[in-house]
Amino acid sequence: MAGITLTQQASGQRQATSPWLNPKLVAGLVMVALVLVLTLIGLILWDVTLARAASSPLNLPPFWVPGGTMAHPLGTESSGRDLLALLIVGGPMTLQVGLIVGITSMVIGIVLGFAAGYLGGAVDAVIRTLSDTALTIPSLAILIVISAYVRQMDVTTMSLIVALLAWAGPTRVIRAQVLSMREQGYVRMARLTALPTPHIMFREMMPNLLPYLAASFIGSASGGILAAVGLEALGLGPQRIPTLGMTVSQAIQGSAILRGMWWWWGTPTIVLMVIFIGLFLVAIGLDEVVNPRLRGVRG
Amino acid sequence: MRGLSLGYVIRRVGMFFFTIWASATVMFFIPRLAPGDPVSAMVTRLTSQAGRVEGSAALITAWRQRFGLDDPLLVQYLRYLRGMLTFDFGYSLAQFPTEVGAMVGRAMPWTIGLLLISTVLTFLAGTLIGALMAWRRTPRLLRWFLPVSLTFTAIPFYILGIVLVYVFVFALGLFPVSGGYRNDLTPGFDFAFINSVIQHGTLPAMSIVLASMGFWALGMRGMMVTVAGEDYLTLARAKGLRPLDVLFRYEVRNAILPQVTALVLGLGGIVGGTVLVEYLFGYPGMGALLYQGITNSDFTVIQGIVFILILTTVTAVLIVDLIYPLLDPRITYERR
Amino acid sequence: MTDGINTSGAKDTTTTGGLSRRALLRNAAFTGMSVAPVASLLAACEGSRSDPAGESEQDVKTLLLDHHGGRVQSPDLWNPLVSGFTNNAGFHQALAEPLFILNYESGEIEPWLGESFTSNDTLDVWTLTIKDGITWSDGEAYDADDIVFTIEVLLKNAELNNAAPMQEWVDKVRKVDKTTVEFTLKKPNPRFQLDYFSVKIHSSLVVVPEHIWRGKDPLTFKNYDKKQNWPVFTGPYQLSSASPTRFVYTRRGDWWGAKADFKPLPQPERLEWIVNETEDIRVARATDHQLHSVADLTAGAFESLKARNKDVISWLPEKPYAWSDPCTRLLSLNNAIAPWNDREMRWALNYAIDREEIVRIAYEGTTTPARFFYPNYPAVQEYVNLLESEGLFEEYPILTHDPDKAKQIFESKGYTRTGDGFYRKGGKELRLQIDAPTDFIEIWRYAEVIGEQLQRAGINATVRKLAIATWGDNLGNGRFDAVTDWSACGSVTEPWLSMNLFHARFVVPMGKPSESNAVRWKNAEYSKHVDALANLPLGDKRIEGPFVAAARIWLRELPFLPIAHARKLYAFDTRSWTGWATSENNYLQPTLDWANAHKIIHSLRPAR
Repeated sequence: MAGITLTQQASGQRQATSPWLNPKLVAGLVMVALVLVLTLIGLILWDVTLARAASSPLNLPPFWVPGGTMAHPLGTESSGRDLLALLIVGGPMTLQVGLIVGITSMVIGIVLGFAAGYLGGAVDAVIRTLSDTALTIPSLAILIVISAYVRQMDVTTMSLIVALLAWAGPTRVIRAQVLSMREQGYVRMARLTALPTPHIMFREMMPNLLPYLAASFIGSASGGILAAVGLEALGLGPQRIPTLGMTVSQAIQGSAILRGMWWWWGTPTIVLMVIFIGLFLVAIGLDEVVNPRLRGVRG
Repeated sequence: MRGLSLGYVIRRVGMFFFTIWASATVMFFIPRLAPGDPVSAMVTRLTSQAGRVEGSAALITAWRQRFGLDDPLLVQYLRYLRGMLTFDFGYSLAQFPTEVGAMVGRAMPWTIGLLLISTVLTFLAGTLIGALMAWRRTPRLLRWFLPVSLTFTAIPFYILGIVLVYVFVFALGLFPVSGGYRNDLTPGFDFAFINSVIQHGTLPAMSIVLASMGFWALGMRGMMVTVAGEDYLTLARAKGLRPLDVLFRYEVRNAILPQVTALVLGLGGIVGGTVLVEYLFGYPGMGALLYQGITNSDFTVIQGIVFILILTTVTAVLIVDLIYPLLDPRITYERR
Repeated sequence: MTDGINTSGAKDTTTTGGLSRRALLRNAAFTGMSVAPVASLLAACEGSRSDPAGESEQDVKTLLLDHHGGRVQSPDLWNPLVSGFTNNAGFHQALAEPLFILNYESGEIEPWLGESFTSNDTLDVWTLTIKDGITWSDGEAYDADDIVFTIEVLLKNAELNNAAPMQEWVDKVRKVDKTTVEFTLKKPNPRFQLDYFSVKIHSSLVVVPEHIWRGKDPLTFKNYDKKQNWPVFTGPYQLSSASPTRFVYTRRGDWWGAKADFKPLPQPERLEWIVNETEDIRVARATDHQLHSVADLTAGAFESLKARNKDVISWLPEKPYAWSDPCTRLLSLNNAIAPWNDREMRWALNYAIDREEIVRIAYEGTTTPARFFYPNYPAVQEYVNLLESEGLFEEYPILTHDPDKAKQIFESKGYTRTGDGFYRKGGKELRLQIDAPTDFIEIWRYAEVIGEQLQRAGINATVRKLAIATWGDNLGNGRFDAVTDWSACGSVTEPWLSMNLFHARFVVPMGKPSESNAVRWKNAEYSKHVDALANLPLGDKRIEGPFVAAARIWLRELPFLPIAHARKLYAFDTRSWTGWATSENNYLQPTLDWANAHKIIHSLRPAR
């Protein structure tokens, strides 16, 4: 299978053109890393308490517009929060959501997907029903219930709630992959030699799945961020310091467009765009890793 | 039927009903887990208008009794199941005596009208682009332009909306919308209403195509490339068939299966994903209704909408599962 | 996704483009809906480029009003007795007329359908006289029979609007003659007319026509029938069309008021209430003169509207522009749990809060701080000024922001603080959880600022946004530390009502729903003074004594903190219509969404 050759090529070989180094993948990773690094630098250099309400003067424009000041280089919004501080705090929060949702749904997806795909039968039926059920429940309903019980909603709690329902997709994807891989020659050989099931699953099949898993991870992370951004727009996200998504939605509710306060919604939008485009490029890049036939195709 | 055994179909349909029941049960309990009920929502809204509602405690008690909210949970649950089975969604609790069916009926055309148009358009555009991107004989110009169009995909959609508003309305100061804008926003009845739904849908449909065709394109491209190496295509070209014929009759047709799968599933899941954006922009669809229902703890509205959602999603999944072998004869569910 | 696929050789692309199906679906749906409603905004804004000279003759006689309450889910429901009915999309402004109207500016109760409503000396028998010659829109006479019928329906059905107060106060109601009704109350009530029949806040008791309603179930009757021209009420307009986003009413020439020489027919021939989903759309339409009155704007939106449309005015000619709303904004503390059951701790909170900053940031300067829980109207403010002249605000400096004093109090209670950390006592942090309702942006904005101020002062204050059902339920049941709310609302011209809300007899244990006094403040002396006020006639001099005594106790104990006056920023477009109610022309308060809007509509004149 193409996947096997691929992994053997990629791991530890000194190939001049490893498929993992294709420009799209690299560009995407660089973009995401850029956001991360810049925000980490910002955390050290800038005063992030300015992201709290009532900490700065209201409605200042960025410093290059008359009326702006270097004390708040990207301007402020109508609750007295500094935009630069918001971006510095919000960027990592967004990435954190992606990470938590991505990892959680991947871990659950791997465990359940392998179980369902490899073991089949009743196990498969149960897991499939569970995932179908999870698909139909709006995460909003769960979020509202939980927000009534937690003291203050924070990023981790919200991410876990999104992940709670996001695992259904990866589970199905991995299950489908496992199903087709199950019939491959090397797996049948492994079963014939009576190797223990976990060994087969993790030592034989998993390495070949890695590219798919990586692509799925990116997809979950991206989808998770999107879902969280939407939930934050409803005002149910982390309360004290809004994430990027909440900042944009507060900008809309505060009539920022009308008031000409383009920096309020514009700067978080740009950061979000960089993150999403980065993840998207990584996804395309991984797609090429997975499907060697795509590598030569122009465009 | 080739690929499907009777046993499989029966089991699958059984699972279908079971999944619907399981989801419906979960959605019965979840809204009731949060403190609060539709009556307190009603009363709180009244106090926000009238400053103070006299006799609120007595009012709450009387309404709770009328709605049967003090009955044992099992009784309420059985009542709920019976209602769902007969599609009798009852009255909205927070906006009594409005019927849930009427509320949903008013919201549904907006959701379906727009999303149907947009999903289909996206599918067509994205698939076409993906096919063209993978085809060997696509003109060079297109090859350069197409990937650029895909970068729109990465942007969160309501943010794309804001950017468009800013660009078209406030920066450029022009946006041609055919027909009077007041008409667009007044759903009349019958023809006028449908006309306004379509008018509402045309513009955003175009933006939708921009923003989400990327994924369809990529998927199609992936499949097309896989298919491109197949022997039967070499044979078809050797036979001298016209390139476009080869493209559509062989390459596309073989590559399209997963796309169709995704399309059917996408149509099934239409209602669920719209809550957030509808709320933000005040669009009158099912998503906004669901959000309102959830914040008001309006159990009957939540139950009604989610039940429809469950039905459409699970049915779509069932259909996909069952027609897969029909579309692709290589697929079989039979035991080896 | 599919069972046991046997795809020999073909790649299984259940992943499309590297993203899971689920994300794909979500994305598709998201995009689907994202820019869709932008069409609304875009379409609305497109109007701002349209040719203004294209206004037809008909448009000149139309009044376009903004409905602030969102989409109306049931435009075929016209039953004013049930709580789910939307009464401010033109119903009680154009169709149903009130008996009396309370004028906040003059403090007088003005007659409309009613002529007079007087009581006997013991304030327990009230006699209502209505004008002669009032007719319903179908020609039937509006008389005492309808009033008696309506009251009896309320007395029999506890779930209806105003049923609870009628059941509490009214013993018997009887028709004396065609235009006179007599109410016999169970106990004396000097505020009977004021509270229920005078549009005190937002609406008043609506009388329904007996000849249509007899025999119908008042809980489920929709009262809507196009063929028979239902809904039938007495106002000068008839319902022309109703949809979730737009309500249209046309003037009818056979209005009783014109015939009876009460007032001439109102000038606007057509009224339209239009639902505007977001503030941007609201402002866009108002800029283009497509809305003559806008319901409630934020400061920034109003200023940008003013910059674009020179004909726009508001209640006040300059900042803070806004009109003071009756329900003062509070920070309510749960007096039943420690440490907030200690009055000194509550006062410490008060010193830690800076009301000026709250007004500046959360309200962007459009209101004023509140030192007492009465709204900013002349009649009740007279009582507050009385407190000032008695020196109570020097004894209890409620408006003072003094973080050092707060520090003193905390330390005297045994709390210690290291550096910028939080106060701790016995290993536990000093915490305060503030609950705010998600739906009301204004409320959680000021909650956020309070949260930050308290954090600076060393209290671990967190703000939690809850869905409205949960928030309301928690408030009533006492399951909160602190809430930002308006639960002292009620008094607009006389002091008793709001004070009585915190009478000790309303205190119920936590976990049980409370009628009022959700903060569970129990003070017997205060309650005694409030009781002394209860049966004094309105405006009586004897009110002052007990009032001051009760207020002194309240100030000392400070069970809840008044923060700022609420406000509504209305905007009126004077290009087509003049005669709006403003502070310079204050014939009434400017509330076009209340049942007293009839007076405003009658006062409007075309601008040309």
